[in-house]
Amino acid sequence: MHGEEWSHTILQTDPMRLYRAKRDQARRTVTSKYIILGFISSGTYGRVYKAQSVEPEGQIYAIKKFKPDKEGDVVTYTGISQSAIREIALNKEIVHENIVALKEVILEDKSIYMVFEFAEHDFLQVIHHHSQTLRIQIPSQFLKSLIYQLLNGLVYLHSTHILHRDLKPANILITASGVVKIGDLGLARLVHQPLQPLFAGDKVVVTIWYRAPELLMGAKHYNKAVDCWAVGCVIAELASLRPIFKGEEAKLDSKKNVPFQRDQLLKIFEVLGTPEEKDWPGVRDMPEYQNMKRLDPYQNRLSEWCQSRIRSQQGYELLRQLFAYDPDKRLTAKEALMHKWFQEDPRPTWNVFHYVAANQLPPQRRITQDEAPSMMGVPAHTAQTQAQTQTQIAQAHAHAQAQHLSQQSQANLSQQSKPGSAASFGSGSVGPGQGGYSGSQGSQTRKKARIS
Amino acid sequence: MATDFWASSHYKRWIIDRATLRQARTDDLQYVEDPEYLEFFSIFFANVIAKLGKKLNLRQRVIASATVFFRRFYLKNSYCETDPFIVIAACCYVAAKAEESPIHIKNMVAETRLFFSQPPYSVKSFPSDNSKLAEMEFYLVDDLECDLTIFHPYRTLLSLCKTESSSDLQAEAGEVAAGIDDGLRYWGSGDGQLELPDGALQLAWSIINDTYRSNLCVVYPPHLLAITALYLTLVLHSPTREMLQSHSSSAAQQVQSQLTEHQTSPRRSSRQASHASNTGKKSAQDFIGFFADLNVSMPLIATIAQEIISLYTLWDRYKEDCPPDNTARTSFQGQATQAGSPFSSTTHASRSGSLSGAGTPVTVAPEVPGDTQRYGGTGVVTPVILMQILARMRENRLSDLSHPASGRPVAVNKMLERTQAAG
Ligand SMILES: Nc1ncnc2c1ncn2[C@@H]1O[C@H](COP(=O)(O)OP(=O)(O)O)[C@@H](O)[C@H]1O
Ligand SMILES: [Mg+2]
Repeated sequence: MHGEEWSHTILQTDPMRLYRAKRDQARRTVTSKYIILGFISSGTYGRVYKAQSVEPEGQIYAIKKFKPDKEGDVVTYTGISQSAIREIALNKEIVHENIVALKEVILEDKSIYMVFEFAEHDFLQVIHHHSQTLRIQIPSQFLKSLIYQLLNGLVYLHSTHILHRDLKPANILITASGVVKIGDLGLARLVHQPLQPLFAGDKVVVTIWYRAPELLMGAKHYNKAVDCWAVGCVIAELASLRPIFKGEEAKLDSKKNVPFQRDQLLKIFEVLGTPEEKDWPGVRDMPEYQNMKRLDPYQNRLSEWCQSRIRSQQGYELLRQLFAYDPDKRLTAKEALMHKWFQEDPRPTWNVFHYVAANQLPPQRRITQDEAPSMMGVPAHTAQTQAQTQTQIAQAHAHAQAQHLSQQSQANLSQQSKPGSAASFGSGSVGPGQGGYSGSQGSQTRKKARIS
Repeated sequence: MATDFWASSHYKRWIIDRATLRQARTDDLQYVEDPEYLEFFSIFFANVIAKLGKKLNLRQRVIASATVFFRRFYLKNSYCETDPFIVIAACCYVAAKAEESPIHIKNMVAETRLFFSQPPYSVKSFPSDNSKLAEMEFYLVDDLECDLTIFHPYRTLLSLCKTESSSDLQAEAGEVAAGIDDGLRYWGSGDGQLELPDGALQLAWSIINDTYRSNLCVVYPPHLLAITALYLTLVLHSPTREMLQSHSSSAAQQVQSQLTEHQTSPRRSSRQASHASNTGKKSAQDFIGFFADLNVSMPLIATIAQEIISLYTLWDRYKEDCPPDNTARTSFQGQATQAGSPFSSTTHASRSGSLSGAGTPVTVAPEVPGDTQRYGGTGVVTPVILMQILARMRENRLSDLSHPASGRPVAVNKMLERTQAAG
């Protein structure tokens, strides 16, 4: 019989064909469930879109599309990226008010779509809004509420033994109703029983400006304290509207050895002073200890730094304790949350915008029409010219962002590279192959970071 | 392994009841003469995963996760409609990533293809093309509903036992010491730890490995499996038994008497140094207290223990030329002088050349209770037999599907036509 012959062939050549047919038939596509409103950001591992559910309520979501993991020039499909697996596996397990909620994951056509609740703002955008548009400091009530909720989310993450490992303004989102949402778990890891030392998996973690001293000193084992250091950096950045330790990253060499991060350490020492053994006994055992000793000595002047920027003794205390050199002495997220600074006036609010005047609210997230051909359908009504303009804007911002992140050839670019100059939507840097800004240090770092 | 077990996808979505399990085999049951073969499949495929895992140098936990993925996949799919070998490969590939120790797809495909092409599998259809594995991974993750964080009993076991640190197990569990804190015990109030003699922890560990040869990992939460493994060890591991000398008529002993008829060895418990006491009687209290503190249902533990013993009984009829390492059964062989295998019957001993060759008398093992011997006495099953059964099941299924006369729903035929056309 025809059928038997055929069944024999199918078992020999493609035994899963029937299975796939069944599954394909049952699957609902992204575009059947969501209307894509526009493109938000392009990161190293994918693109983020703004979308609306076709359900009656028509809620707004952010859809993160992972590019298929490809290798080399010849595009061979190697399956789901480690980063996507991580982000999915962890996001599926956690639920918290201050962590961006994953609604669903759709697998379709070799691409993975993670559907998140939409967050209208993020910390980087708030910083930019204050430095560029309003030209005022972030009011302390606002600032404190942002930090309080960030810590609240971090306490939860740490209670579930997840290290975020990439806390920075671009990855901390805020909803329109003023709730802080920690996002981007693409570098996050469980610290329970890693099968390999954390170091082995990812040689570099955390964007350099937010990287804790133990990482810069080459520590092979690290812990939740790296996230707490990053929180300190974020507080300082919100307070001063520019990154506090804006060092230049030394590049990985051809053998992917992590170089000594001299400049970044110097930036830290300039504010916090050179670490002393009495404060950080473990410093002597750090791989980069000898290199460190060769640096010029500095005095701690954090108190001075805080005077005009934090304007609260308790605020200074919190920062000082988050910037403890010794990871074991550094404040934990929980301790930070309980800190007196949050108990003194002005108190944090659950809507971070509670006391923000309407005309001072940060603008809505900008969306553009995605220019890449392979992408999901774009609304037809968008004029081509507009799309082109938007693209140019996006590239300009991406460029600014690249500088923002890399601090390459700082002399040349000197003052034009403004702190926090990345636009709200451009906070994910442009990856290689898009817009040609492969010099974006941010994405390179992360890319390397994810090679395991 | 992560986060909060009670809030986990593992607990909320992937602990299923027996009825669901039975339902998952509905189609397969139409194509297999004896339902028992499906249980042998469970052993067989878990062994395939373990062996492939060894070839790929995967850690025990990765192998365990891969096995759980495999079980979950077959809660939604049938053996007769799929190719378990490509599924196994995808399970290992995803598990390695999910456990943060990824393997390169090229190595994965090459090693797997070679391994499967050899007897007893002799699978010729395994694709050489990387993208085929990637494709399967994609479908697999979809079927797993993207729930990739798996809790395993190993960690619970270690949290229950005080060990002489530096053991391989510690390393295997992965730097537990560094990570241990509040999240470790997610049930009950117990904080005691048992002090076990050499080999006992290894035995409990191996019993846990063995549970993956069945569907226990999708039926019971991992901590219950760990406690059961520990319990079986306490009851059945001779040196442990001797160490735990006491005279108790505890609930624990009642449970234990259900398990073994000729159990006479007294037990004594030992807890942490602060609790250690001189009198056997006091210690016995501690031992009972230890299990009581765990705040789990001892009758349930007894039930699970029964199921594990049933698995061993079935397994005794399953014969492979080279059994995978690291099972309780092999570890019993290794320490035959000190410990009789509680599970092995004469079949086991007789086919184990190393055991008889060593000339060491096997300590008398407690008898397996009668009601678990329903499989006893029937024929031996081998991978080759199972491969034949599987092939027949799949052929019959496919020819049924392609014959309209078989009364298949039209939709399925349409679908097949489509794939035929597409392929
Ligand atoms: N839920 C969301 N709502 C709105 N914008 C988002 C959301 N998630 C991410 N974005 C935007 O996309 C950018 C990149 O997303 P992220 O998850 O950080 O990906 P990447 O790994 O590429 O950095 C973010 O910095 C933010 O601007
Ligand atoms: Mg990001």
